[in-house]
Amino acid sequence: MKDNRQANYKLPLSLRKGKVCLILCLLLVVAGLTAYTGTEPTVPMGDYVFNYPANFGNRINVPANNPTTQQGVYLGRLLFYEPKLSATNTISCGSCHQQSKAFTDGKALSIGVNNGLATRNSMSLANLLWARKFFWDGRAASLEGQVAFPLTNPHEMGQPIEVSVQKLSNTKVYPGLFKIVYGDSTITGERIAKAIAQFERTLISANSRYDQYLRNVYQPTDDELKGMELFNRGADPEKGIRGANCTHCHGGPKTYLELFHNNGLDSISKDEGMAAFTGLVTDRGRFKVPTLRNIALTAPYMHDGRFKTLDEVVDHYSEHIKQSVSLSAFLQGESNEVGGKSLKLQPKEKKQLIAFLNMLTDSTFITDKRFADPHRSTKN
Amino acid sequence: MKKYTLILLLLIAGFGTRAQTKEAVVKVSGEVTSPLTIGSADLQQYKQTTVIRKDRDGKDHTYSGVIVSDILTKAGVTLGSELRGENLAKFLLVEASDGYQVLFALAELDKGFTDRTIILADKIDGQPLAPADGPFRIIVQDEKKPARCIKQVTAMKVMFAK
Repeated sequence: MKDNRQANYKLPLSLRKGKVCLILCLLLVVAGLTAYTGTEPTVPMGDYVFNYPANFGNRINVPANNPTTQQGVYLGRLLFYEPKLSATNTISCGSCHQQSKAFTDGKALSIGVNNGLATRNSMSLANLLWARKFFWDGRAASLEGQVAFPLTNPHEMGQPIEVSVQKLSNTKVYPGLFKIVYGDSTITGERIAKAIAQFERTLISANSRYDQYLRNVYQPTDDELKGMELFNRGADPEKGIRGANCTHCHGGPKTYLELFHNNGLDSISKDEGMAAFTGLVTDRGRFKVPTLRNIALTAPYMHDGRFKTLDEVVDHYSEHIKQSVSLSAFLQGESNEVGGKSLKLQPKEKKQLIAFLNMLTDSTFITDKRFADPHRSTKN
Repeated sequence: MKKYTLILLLLIAGFGTRAQTKEAVVKVSGEVTSPLTIGSADLQQYKQTTVIRKDRDGKDHTYSGVIVSDILTKAGVTLGSELRGENLAKFLLVEASDGYQVLFALAELDKGFTDRTIILADKIDGQPLAPADGPFRIIVQDEKKPARCIKQVTAMKVMFAK
């Protein structure tokens, strides 16, 4: 019985081998023909499935009128890296949001098409799927709403949407792609923004050493562990507990809580921040608390890029918080010394904190080919 | 020319002081019959209540303001005899200037369900709240952690759990 079974099993295997060879040969012929005759890229189709760890939570933000599809993401990625969307055909979203720098550009303020400076520091693009308010002042309620601003702002890409629509309409590839994504080949500003937003939602960073630690597959160094402890604990000098309480605003597995604060950079902030549209004095110099994911890659720091290094950032929170009527409550009177007016971290603790911040670098994210410039490999 | 200069100066002055002139308000919206926008003067129109609880300094403070369910009742929220059936799947989402959000089930706010008082406070020990805490703050009587005593309240939305 046993032998028979083996014999029966062997026969189909040899037959299968033959079939597999035949199919492979046919595939090669088809592939060869496609490469020879086709200039159209193969566009992946269907719903886009977001993959992320369960501890990120499911409070994701995808507008009902812009569901994420593979074809939409494909188009959005081309548009994100499309310099034709700028007045000079030289700048794309990807110019100020470079993957190698966790989608920032290393400058305090980015330089736009007119050689003018953007108003605020280029923000890192990671885990936007969970964000509900956009820009440093949170004034846009969706990624779709956010996208239009840098496209048309004279100090950024500086091109009216109608011109962008015209330029894309004159290409060989875009009308066909818009048809695949939206059902007809009409190109509109809204459709451009929707596709870029779809691509940006796929920029998920979830494989830093901190994520690996949370998955129990990375053992942090002593400094990283002590830094993590400081990061997560509030100072309570009377009980002998030392802490930096970063988690108050940067807590959770995403190190992002969507909060807006005045973090004591200035007594009177030059930049009004949220006060520009709320009109409230307590919103002056109030800005988005950014994600700390990949923070070691996104220097310089703060809304105006004033701090060049993480050391300067930690020094600020430790010793240089400026009092004002707008200073957020949790930064007032927080200290590691009894009766102290500032946090007063020791030099060693600062190093440990920075060791932990370096754990948030996700090298998989910055080298993921799905997020890279597709124009280098795709004809346009 | 002088006239234009004057207009220009007035415009600049207008822009310069814009941030200082607006009054903070709390917007009440969502599953309500009459949306409300409540400023400091409006809050005085309601019956005033006090709640004593500890703050971060570990000391008892007297907070005064208005019971949240009084405000919600005025907005036409389904409290009291209407708080039954599917209305028990409703909650109040409170939002602050900094984007912080906390929620209360409607039943936590209704005196038919609980004697615990939850107020929208505007004073601490008889004085206006500090700018970083006010002008409006939720104070939850007897709750051990202060995390739901949300500061700088800007909005209260009543919603159905989906």
